[in-house]
Amino acid sequence: MEPATSLETRVKSAGLAAGARVVGIAAVEAFRAAVPEGYRPEDILPGARSVIVAGGDGPTAGAWRCPDHRVMEITGYDLRENVAVHVMCDFIERELGHYAIQAPSLSVHGHEPPMSMMHAAELAGLGSRSLAAHIILNPEYGLLYYAALITTLPLEPDPPLAEPACPHPGCAAMYKRIGTTPCLRVCPACLTGSVKDNRIERSTYDRERCHSRAQTYGIGSFQKSLLQIVNEDDPERRHTMIHGDFFTKSLEAVGFFRDSIAQCFECMRVCPVGRKHRKLQ
Amino acid sequence: MTLPADAAATLKRAALKGGAVVCGVADAAAFDALAPAGHRPADLLPGARAVVVVGGAAPREGDWAATSPWVLSTMGTTERIQSVGRRMAQWIESEWGYYALFVPPGTSSGDQPFLSLMLAAELAGVGSRSLAGPVLNREHGFMYWSAVITTAPLTADGPEAEPACPAPPCREMWEREGTTPCLRVCPLSDNGCLEGRITNGRAERTGYDAARCRTRVHTHWIPGFQKVLETTLDEPDKDKRKMLLYGDFMTRTLWAMTYSSTNIAQCFECMRVCPAAHGLKEMR
Repeated sequence: MEPATSLETRVKSAGLAAGARVVGIAAVEAFRAAVPEGYRPEDILPGARSVIVAGGDGPTAGAWRCPDHRVMEITGYDLRENVAVHVMCDFIERELGHYAIQAPSLSVHGHEPPMSMMHAAELAGLGSRSLAAHIILNPEYGLLYYAALITTLPLEPDPPLAEPACPHPGCAAMYKRIGTTPCLRVCPACLTGSVKDNRIERSTYDRERCHSRAQTYGIGSFQKSLLQIVNEDDPERRHTMIHGDFFTKSLEAVGFFRDSIAQCFECMRVCPVGRKHRKLQ
Repeated sequence: MTLPADAAATLKRAALKGGAVVCGVADAAAFDALAPAGHRPADLLPGARAVVVVGGAAPREGDWAATSPWVLSTMGTTERIQSVGRRMAQWIESEWGYYALFVPPGTSSGDQPFLSLMLAAELAGVGSRSLAGPVLNREHGFMYWSAVITTAPLTADGPEAEPACPAPPCREMWEREGTTPCLRVCPLSDNGCLEGRITNGRAERTGYDAARCRTRVHTHWIPGFQKVLETTLDEPDKDKRKMLLYGDFMTRTLWAMTYSSTNIAQCFECMRVCPAAHGLKEMR
């Protein structure tokens, strides 16, 4: 007689089959230590018991090798993790009879989302914060994008990582040798931090500067350009601003045709975590 | 990892299972003579050896048959084929361990694409250019294209031996009337976009007004937004400004640009009348 497949495996398999690279589970109780009341999973879905997190692929290894930076500007995101989350939600509601919702992750006030996908990924054992703008790194694949679902289905949680993905042993050795790491060296304008005993001792970053670089073209640049255009009195200059590349690219980025969501990947380009998956033939 | 002997066939099966209607492989080097520098496969992916092209996600025959022009002008274009291309890039890397780069849709700057998907489709043997412009597949007709550049040494398909255009009825029409359905519906000489002829059974384009075609195809799109914005800011009358911003043109342009609809292209008339664009399958 074959052993029964666990609920956890069935749910994860649905997510992986739908395009997630990794799937992990966190118990809702795990959020209480660091998440303020009002922002916890059970504040979003009454009776929530578990949070399931899907990590989706970043750029392909081929995209990382492309010498034309505009390729990564447009194809750096996959967004498949959202599909995987929806598939798992459907599976849980239809097959298992429990409530399941996609966890809200877009900012609603400033940079604040109703629920942090970074924190959810950490608690689900999928990754840990890095020196590179605190981006969550999966120890196997490095940069992934995360989406999550909240469900009333009780599941056995995965443990958080026993060893953090960052600093990579090579980075810890580099820090010992020359007092910096690849990410800190490539972007001293945004990142600062230190390593002690092979662990991140201190890490901070200039979020506003990083945001304006990572999202050169997007809603922010649209708002910035629009204000300048509206304030420009000279019709000739207005014409140039409206039809220029910067405003056109900003419009393309906010439109749905292209996935031009982020434009700077330099701290991740030099990060060795998951790099083995970027070395192909 | 060496590629399996039937690599190209395996890849094509995966593409069709993933949602493509057709899939072909072009030799990366074949672009060198035809594409400008900076827009060849090896310019985007060092060591490129093949370009995988997937086609599909065309309007359904029901869309073409719909009597309301709003059906095609608001829902005729989808980006579904791009997700197939993206998944094929991931598939090539994870299954075979070769670099794969999903060619971004759209343009890199101005009207210049990163890599011409039309040329890629031709070189991959999944379509040929029509008198009207779009690349048509012989069996399925009009479709949308996506491409993946890879270092995998896949066996390339040759270009199609026989083009889909001109279709036999168009040849007959040319002999009879000196025009074709597409040339008649959108003649360059009468405020249209197309001019051409059929010589020895082959379509030959002699004129095309790309700028005019673009403003008709993308009436409600980013250039439409830019146009209304400029007109609004140049307009001194407050009431007229309000009408411009709340009017149908601007509203539909905003629908077109945002994620709320698939309102990307608005003119399909040359393809609507093209016998080759609708493929070989007859619908009841």
